[in-house]
This record gives sequence, structure tokens and C-alpha cells, in this order.
Amino acid sequence: MKIRKELWFGFTLMAIILVTVVIFTPWANFADGHLSHEDQGALGLLMLALIVVAIMLGFPTAFTLMGMGVFFGWLAYRSVNPEIATQQILDLMVQRAYSVMSNDVLIAIPLFVFMGYLVERANLIEKLFKSLHLSLARVPGALAVATIVTCAIFATATGIVGAVVTLMGLLALPAMLRAGYSVQLSAGAITAGGCLGILIPPSVLLIVYGATAGVSVVKLYAGAFFPGIMLAALYVLYVIVVAKVKPHLAPPLSESERRVPLPPLSQALSSRHRNALAGLWSGFRAPGASKGTVAGQLFVSLLPAISIAVLLAVMYGSATAPRVAADTTGLVQAGGGIVADETPTPASGLEEPPAEGLGDADTLKEPVAESAASAPAAAAAPPAASTAAPQRPAAQEKPTTSDATPAERLPIPIWYWITFAAGVAAIALISWLMNWQRLEIFKMLLTSFFPLAVMILAVLGSIVFGLATPTEAAAVGGFGGVVLAGAYRYIAARQAKRPNPVGTTLKDLGGIIKESSFLTAKTSAMVCWLFVGSSIFSASFALLGGQELIERWVLSLGLTTFQFMVLSQFIIFILGWPLEWTEIIVIFMPIFIPLLAKFGVDPLFFGLLVALNLQTAFLSPPVAMAAFYLKGVSPRHVTLNQIFGGMMPFMAIQVVAIVLLYAFPQIGLWLPELLYK
Amino acid sequence: MQKLLLTIDKISTFVGQAFSWLIVALTFMITWEVFSRYVLDHPHSWAFDVMIIMYGTLFMMAGAYTLAKSGHVRGDVLYGFFRPRTQATIDLILYVLFFVPGVFALTYAGYYFAAESWAIRETSNITAEGPPIYPFKMILPLAGAILLAQGIVEIIRCVICIQQGDWPSREEDVQEVDVDKLKEMVHVKDEDIAGLDRLVLPKEGVK
Repeated sequence: MKIRKELWFGFTLMAIILVTVVIFTPWANFADGHLSHEDQGALGLLMLALIVVAIMLGFPTAFTLMGMGVFFGWLAYRSVNPEIATQQILDLMVQRAYSVMSNDVLIAIPLFVFMGYLVERANLIEKLFKSLHLSLARVPGALAVATIVTCAIFATATGIVGAVVTLMGLLALPAMLRAGYSVQLSAGAITAGGCLGILIPPSVLLIVYGATAGVSVVKLYAGAFFPGIMLAALYVLYVIVVAKVKPHLAPPLSESERRVPLPPLSQALSSRHRNALAGLWSGFRAPGASKGTVAGQLFVSLLPAISIAVLLAVMYGSATAPRVAADTTGLVQAGGGIVADETPTPASGLEEPPAEGLGDADTLKEPVAESAASAPAAAAAPPAASTAAPQRPAAQEKPTTSDATPAERLPIPIWYWITFAAGVAAIALISWLMNWQRLEIFKMLLTSFFPLAVMILAVLGSIVFGLATPTEAAAVGGFGGVVLAGAYRYIAARQAKRPNPVGTTLKDLGGIIKESSFLTAKTSAMVCWLFVGSSIFSASFALLGGQELIERWVLSLGLTTFQFMVLSQFIIFILGWPLEWTEIIVIFMPIFIPLLAKFGVDPLFFGLLVALNLQTAFLSPPVAMAAFYLKGVSPRHVTLNQIFGGMMPFMAIQVVAIVLLYAFPQIGLWLPELLYK
Repeated sequence: MQKLLLTIDKISTFVGQAFSWLIVALTFMITWEVFSRYVLDHPHSWAFDVMIIMYGTLFMMAGAYTLAKSGHVRGDVLYGFFRPRTQATIDLILYVLFFVPGVFALTYAGYYFAAESWAIRETSNITAEGPPIYPFKMILPLAGAILLAQGIVEIIRCVICIQQGDWPSREEDVQEVDVDKLKEMVHVKDEDIAGLDRLVLPKEGVK
């Protein structure tokens, strides 16, 4: 019975549209074939109404658009000059198709899609989820928070909602149900998290919007970054609040679930020291422990310290040395040396603060900077003094290595010293907190979370900072995806002790690449053919003057900018119910975009709102794709209604996020304005 | 009849899959170009044109493949609720009404478009000495023709479906969300999922 009802609803809607069209169409004027200006506009609206009906009927949208565009375009040309109308519409059509074929924005789509499929098949989500859930174990609602974070990262890298939701449904749903989480909360976290990839760049949606609206994809990426993070943060916040207020919905993990099994070496050493760094240091002298293994472990556990040190050194280099092409390599090495030398042994008698030490080195090297450097050094010394590790040797070593570089350096700015102190404090804190459990979790994160995060940040960073075009970054990202998939398969093959790990890995990788490229071809063909169809359609629509008519009508309403924004977002929200985001952007954005200038709205800002808005399209019943994917892999007694019920609060959060973004446009516009003004 | 349909399916699929390898080539080419430009300091002026040509060829030639695997996006509000016979009737009408004229026009116009370009041996004008672009324009009618052939197959499918009451079979292909494969990847078995029901049910009792 339910099905009947929905059918009736759909048909009624269609009938209403058609009847309205039939009533308002000036049929009498069409008969003679010579249309006045107004009649053409009406014809344009007729075309728009028909396309909605045709899409609802379920025919492949690309070809509906193409066929209708050709027919109505021909009508438009015919009313001007019937003799050359056919030739004109054919020319228009082929020009439009060719412009999509040679579009230098859309080219990034297949590349990003390819990267997504590769990462999806790299088989790292299981590790990612496990390591995140262990590292977040203390947070209330740990599993749900870990689910959202995993989704955010994984969905960002892949951008395939269906796959992310299915995978998380297989991994996180059982884990959450076992831990006693409510079905609704679990389902909501999975579906909402899985859709984040639509918004957080590098997303295909933003490329499609950029190509349609003529907005730079780079700016869109820079703009969507913070709203995406904000949405994810709001989800996490909601889960934490729910877990705090109603613990029966998301009970905390038991001690046994939080425990990480320690490898034998750590187990042996953990009896000596609670702190992993100290323990490993003493491990060199312990009997029965291989020195190589201990050194390896020590290196891994020092990685955060080393990376902070390198970062500080690089910052130092860029903060002080832009004037000449100065030799910063020696400095980076020396800087790295300082902390690599730093060991967790308690502060010895050397009370020399590290900041002072570095200042000394600078003074030796470049007397010019002396007066400027020593004052902030003293200021920064007290916070850092507590962490006075044996850095003296490094400081003494330095003059010998850097004697040969008499580069003119700028005085060291005060913010650098503040950052430096913070960095050193962070190193100390990390070293102090690094116990054996945390070391294991850190190692797990190192193999799952960081490679993916680094890849995404590298792709995004190179786009946003203008080092590479989106196309180039996407291609390099795809290459990174190949490497990642290969590496994970290789590790898996090694761990499974399969014979000939390299051979099996290569074979696996070949299969992954083959599947990914087939899927990429289909997805890109889907999106790009839709583009071909819609560009023919919108050309005809503009030709008929439908655009003009709508513009005049909207302006005659006398809306304020605020009313216009609310109305347009509401329309997009409603359209998100029956249509997919590709269709909404490709068909309806060309209608909205010209209106933006009339109301003084930045198309970039509008795009961010639309991207946020279309998130809801994935979660709004009854056609929420995410829910059906989850239903497909969940236990039999989890009902669709439970899943929908779980999605509702997250939909509300999305609306809150839209309101927040509208109220504080700087959330989205700050970064692009900072970078591209 | 079914054999003929599957043969044409196979041809579209073969063409689409053959051209889909371009994405691998494209990825590696751009990666190399980036490396060559930033590290070796040796950019190639033809790189941009080649990129565009590869991308355009890729998606155009995959159009028929995508149609053969019914991968083109549909508005799925009502369609899924229809009986197969109703689906086929709607599809049949709309194929004849929209698809055939649209794609035929594209192929026809594309042919003359490419022929003109071919006649003057057109080269790309993005850079001063761009690579020849006329073979790329030939892709337009070629892709259109294959798509049209595949469309005719789909029309015949609709007719068969109207006669028989359900859809004739299609060849299997890689799925975007292949649940079984994903299950295998994360080591989850059906029994595990079924076992979870136990955890869901007591909750229902409480409510």
C-alpha cells in the first residue's frame, strides 16, 4: 500500500506541473510558428517544467536534457529564420558538446574520482577506524566520534558516499552495537559522516559547481575547507553532548576494550619504566633485546618531536632568511639535531634554556642579529626553561657546522620565539605522556591515519597555496593513491606470510587499477555527459529567453538579499529531495547564478552554501541514498525508520551549519580572501 | 536476439574499457609533467593539449559503456516503484522522443564538425605550435555513433521487456559499491551481521 501512495503523490505532482503549464502556455500564438518575445519566454518555462517531469519519470537525465534542448532550441531558431534553423541548432549543439570535451575545469573530475576509487580499495579503513577509536577511547561516545572522524578523513579522500557508508556500516555499526550504543545514534553517525566527503575538498561537487558557475575551483576549495571542518566538528560535538547527557545511548568503553596488546619487546621493557621513551632508552642496556629493534622503536616514538623540530627549523628559515638566497640547509640539519639529541632523561645540570642556546648560535653566526635576537630569547626562556634538555651539545656543535655560511639573516621576529616555546613545550608534553599504550596507538595511527591525512593535505595544500592546479594535484593524488594501495597490499601480503609478496602485490595492484579505471570511466562519463546535455539545454533555455523571464519575475517580487538567499536555499533544499546533486547543480545553478549579481551575492559564497545544503539531500528521506546503503549491510532488525530517525538530528545540525555560515560568512571566505587578495 | 544484444553490449563495453585505461595514462602523464616542470625545470608545451584530449576522449568513449551498464544518472523518485513493464514503456517512449533525436543530431553535427577540422588539418591554438586537434574532434561523431547503437539496443530491450514482463539480462561488471567485495575486504561475514540482531532486539523490548 505504501508504494501506491508514493506513486500517487508523484503522479499528482507531475499532473499539477503539467496542468499549470498547459493553462499558462499561449497555445494560440504557437500555431503560426512566429513567436513573440513573451511567447518564447513562456516556451522556455514550459521546457523547464517538462524537464522536471521527465526527470521524475526516471529517464537518464543527460539524454533528456540533450533531446529537449535540441528540440526547443530548434523552435527558438525557427521563429527567427526557419531556413537556417536546423543548421544553427546543430552548430550550437556541437559547439556546446565540444566545449565540455575541452573543458579544463572538468578534467579534474576523472582524476579525483580515480584517486577516490584507489584509496577506497587500498584497504586501510579497518586500520584507520581501529586506531582512531583506540586513540579517542577516553572521549565520551568514543566509537561514534571515531566513526565521524574516520568518515571525514576517508570520505574526503574517496568522495564515494555509497562505499564509505557501506564500509562503515560493516565496521563501525557492529562495534557500536556491541558496545551498547543505540541504533539511531550509530546509524546517524555513519550516514552523516559518510556524506562529509561531498563537502570537504577535494570534492567533485565543488568542481562541478565551479565549472557551472564559472567560479575558480581553487577558491571554492579554500572556502569549503573550514565549513567542512566546522560541520564535522558540530557532529562530533553533538555526539559528545549526547554521550554525556544520556550515557545509556552511548556508554563509555570498558577497560578491556580500550586495552591495546603490547608486542613482546614493549611488554618486557614496560616493567622497567612507565614512560615509553625512558623505557626504550634503557632498553639499549637491557639484556635480550635486539639493539636494532629498540633503536627503531625509539625513532618511531621520537617522530612527533622530530617533526615539530623540523617544522620549527623550517619556520625559522622562512621567517629570517627571505632577503638573500640564504643557505638554510645547515640550519635545518642543526635544528633537527637539537631535538633528535633530546632524550627523555631528566633535565641534567645544564640549566641553559634551549631558546637561549639557539640564540647563542645565531649570535656566533651573524652578529647583526644579536641585539634583536637576545631580547626575545630571554622572554621566551622562562616557559621553555622547565624543559631544559641537554641541548648544549647541539648548540656547541652548531658554530662548527655553520661557520661557512655568512648569510645575512633578518632579525628573528617575536612570534617565532612564542611558537618555538610552544613547540618545545609540546615536545616535552608528548615525551612525558608517551607511555607504552600510547606508543602502540601512535604506531597504529602512523600506518593508517597519517599517510591518508598527509596525502589529502598535500593535495589540498598544493592547490590552495597555488603550487599546482587542481588537475595537477588530482593527478599526483591519484599517483599517491596507487602508491598507497600498493603499499598497504604489500604490508598485508607480508603479514599474511604469503609466498612472493612482491608478485602478489603487483598482481593485486593491477586488479585494483583495472577496476578503478573502469569505475572512473563510468562515473566520469555519467557526470560529463550530464554536462553535455545540460549545456545544450541551458543554451536553449537562454535562447528562448526563459532566463530573462525568470530574472524579471524574481526582481519584480522585490525581495531583499536575505529573502532571496533564504528562498533560493529553500528551493535547493526541496530539489534535493527528488534529485541528485549532479542534476541540481548542472540544471538549476545556471538559473540561479545570473540572479546572484542582481542581489550582490558572491557566487563563491553561494557555492559554499549550496554545497552545505546539498549534504542534506543525502540524508533526507525517502530517497536518502546513505540510508539505503547502510540498510543493505545492517542486521535484519535494524529498520529504515530507525536509520532515518538517527539521521534527523544530524540533518538539523546541517541546517544549523548553514545558518552559521550565513551569519558568519568569514568562516568560508576568510581563507580565500587571505590567500587570493 | 538476446545474443545480438549482448554482442553489442560487449562491443560498447570493450570500447569503453579500452578507453578507460586513459585515466591511468593521464594520471601518470600529469604526474610526470609536474615532476618534469618543478624538479627538472623542463615543462612541455604540448602537455596541456594532450591532457585535454585524453580527458575528452575518455569520457566521450565511455558514454556507451555507461549506458550499457545503466550507469547514467536517473531521477529515482518514482522509477524504482514501477513494475518492469511500466518502466520499459516509459523508457521506450522517452528513448524515441529524446534519446534518438538528441544523439542522432549530435553524431550528425559532430561528423561535419570533425570533417571541417580534418579538411584544414586543424591544430590546437592554445599554444603557438599546438598538436593536431582534428583526430580529437573525430571522437565526437564516433562516440555518438557507438552511443546511438547502444541506444538502439536499449530500445530493443524495452520492447522485449514489454513483451515478457521483465528485463532481459545484462552482462556483469565492476560495481561502485560491491557489498560482497567490501565485506571480504574488512573481514566481515554474513553470520556476524546476523549475530548482531541479538543486540538490536533487546533494545526494542525496552522501548
